[in-house]
Amino acid sequence: MKRIAIDPITRLEGHGRIDIFLNDEGDVENTYLLIPELRGFERFSVGRPAEEMPRITNRICGVCPEAHHMASTKALDALFQVEPPSVTKKLRELFYSAFYVTDHTTHFFALGGPDFVLGPDAPAAQRNILGVVHKVGVEIGRQVIDTRMRNHHVIKMLGGRGVHPVAGLPGGWSKSITEEERHEIEQIARKNVDFALFSLKLFEDLVLGNPQYVELILSDTYVHRTYSMGMVDENNRVNFYDGLIRVVDLDGQEFVKYHPRDYGKHIAEHVEPWTYLKFPYLKQIGWKGFVDGKDSGVYCATPLSRLNAANGMATPHAREAYEKMYETLGSKRIGPDERYEPVHFRLATHWARLVELLYAAERMLELTIDPEITNPHVRAAVTATPTEGVGCVEAPRGTLTHHYWTDERGILTQVNLIVGTTNNYAPISMSIKKAAQTFIKKGSVITEGLLNRIEMAFRPYDPCMSCATHALPGEMPLDVAIYDAQGRLVDRVQRQG
Amino acid sequence: MKTLVLGLGNPILTDDGVGVRVAEAVRTALATRGNRSPKAENGSVGNDQSIQLAEEAGVVGLPGGVSAFELAAFRFSEVDIQEISVGGLALMEAMIGYECVILVDAFEHPDVPPGMVHRMTLDDLRRVSPTQHSASPHDASLVTALELGQRMGLPLPPRITIYAIGVENVTDFSERLTPSVAAAVPVVTAAVLAELGLDIES
Repeated sequence: MKRIAIDPITRLEGHGRIDIFLNDEGDVENTYLLIPELRGFERFSVGRPAEEMPRITNRICGVCPEAHHMASTKALDALFQVEPPSVTKKLRELFYSAFYVTDHTTHFFALGGPDFVLGPDAPAAQRNILGVVHKVGVEIGRQVIDTRMRNHHVIKMLGGRGVHPVAGLPGGWSKSITEEERHEIEQIARKNVDFALFSLKLFEDLVLGNPQYVELILSDTYVHRTYSMGMVDENNRVNFYDGLIRVVDLDGQEFVKYHPRDYGKHIAEHVEPWTYLKFPYLKQIGWKGFVDGKDSGVYCATPLSRLNAANGMATPHAREAYEKMYETLGSKRIGPDERYEPVHFRLATHWARLVELLYAAERMLELTIDPEITNPHVRAAVTATPTEGVGCVEAPRGTLTHHYWTDERGILTQVNLIVGTTNNYAPISMSIKKAAQTFIKKGSVITEGLLNRIEMAFRPYDPCMSCATHALPGEMPLDVAIYDAQGRLVDRVQRQG
Repeated sequence: MKTLVLGLGNPILTDDGVGVRVAEAVRTALATRGNRSPKAENGSVGNDQSIQLAEEAGVVGLPGGVSAFELAAFRFSEVDIQEISVGGLALMEAMIGYECVILVDAFEHPDVPPGMVHRMTLDDLRRVSPTQHSASPHDASLVTALELGQRMGLPLPPRITIYAIGVENVTDFSERLTPSVAAAVPVVTAAVLAELGLDIES
């Protein structure tokens, strides 16, 4: 019998493709990030009972099924006009906080961190989590894996399944917890807080302690001044599970704060001929192109923008970490509530992600010691006739909105989703262009190091190209093509994951 | 040998769900025979028919020269089936505690027509991803994740077999496989059962 060798060029077409066009002088004229579109979700959903959506939408993406499950469950609350019991909201937020701890940990140690721990010019083969372990020690890797596994245990315990949760119901959550389970989760949450503090300390030691990295974070190449979006609680502090959507301008002034169900009044979508994906923008400002500034409707929805849009963090250690970040990056306190001026250094998103990691861990601990958390009454009766509902959470990659319409039987007639990465499509495209313009000059040879500098521009956003995340070989290859002013391909680097 | 059959993919994204369909079919087949291999139990080779079917159907990379002794190593006292849609670290974590993992997944490649099946080892996968560097926006590669797990001393399976199935459409939402990919499901199911030391109808 024969065995075949697989050619290493695979899954390139349409996946993570960046096209760079040069002008007559050989400098970068424009860049295009092409993200594959998954088609026909609305057609797939229409005609199905709405209550199936939390289990269907968590299949859209292998990266953050928990976020889709939660946004969908909240959309069902609105659709069936049912207010979940207080304990139910807390259980959902507890589940969601465990997910955040897992997701943010993975991003920092597997993706964002290696650029700083090993350096942006380190060989590609080392610039990954194995390289981090090699440099900082096996114990780091063990802590990352332990953190992921203990929180996956919580996700499974609360969500009913390890990967694709099933517990969300309109007005409810199918699982209450016993005192024994509560105690176990509390111990896990305490470990999470320690781990988050350790991660921030590591960031301070390895990144802030290195003047070259600080210079990199502060360099103009990775700066974009846009509006910032994020969900806030009743005190205008960061919240991932519930609240209003707040947008602040470049100087930190509140531009608008709206209920998630009103997203259509505030967000519109721009269409470009070269991509199926649309570019959301602030309706009141309008689309002015891929440009920074107060007159441009481009906004950002990331860990950094969430912190920018809020007055601060709701938990004590995260509050300290938040203040330290803004003070270190030179922000001034502004306004009657003395919040900080927004930070526009996009590489600082990695730092903001760690502040959020700490908040998620602390919030998890708060919820586990809440006396109500073991209340078994986790469902409210559904009696109203459904018509339309919007559910919204902060996914790790940005504000996630699900909007469903049904007939009187609860059968879906229309569906609209705005997923986290979509919010950031314009800013990601702008960041890639700026990095390409900085690093590619006339006669440039495209190298692995150059590719990484460009990747560093979009990595803070953690863009989700969902279908590329699980099919073999299990990674997103990157294809950079450079065209001259006549449209001829002059250089190309195809890199496997 | 504690074994995991892992169907990887999105069951509502047309051909992307082919791994999940195979896992479902293997589960059904095992349920009908009580998760045991009657022929293997009394010492005979129990998977000739399955291997033959897989061979005839053109599965590339089936184990050659399989001896009864080798097949005895494939007697599985406990087989779990899972269907998930994750990669990298989460995929590695799903394998912890198993001695053998059979992974079934979609494979998009210009030279691999829809429905064509490749049986691969981890070494083959390493060659597919030679730099072992993660360019994923979210995670590490499976190869990197497994190396990390090994460095951590996690109990990971020494034996990982991968069935990669050529696909036609992984961008449209649908629960239905395209015909040529659907035709591969019984073929790969038989091949997986053969790996487990089972005939397709025993």
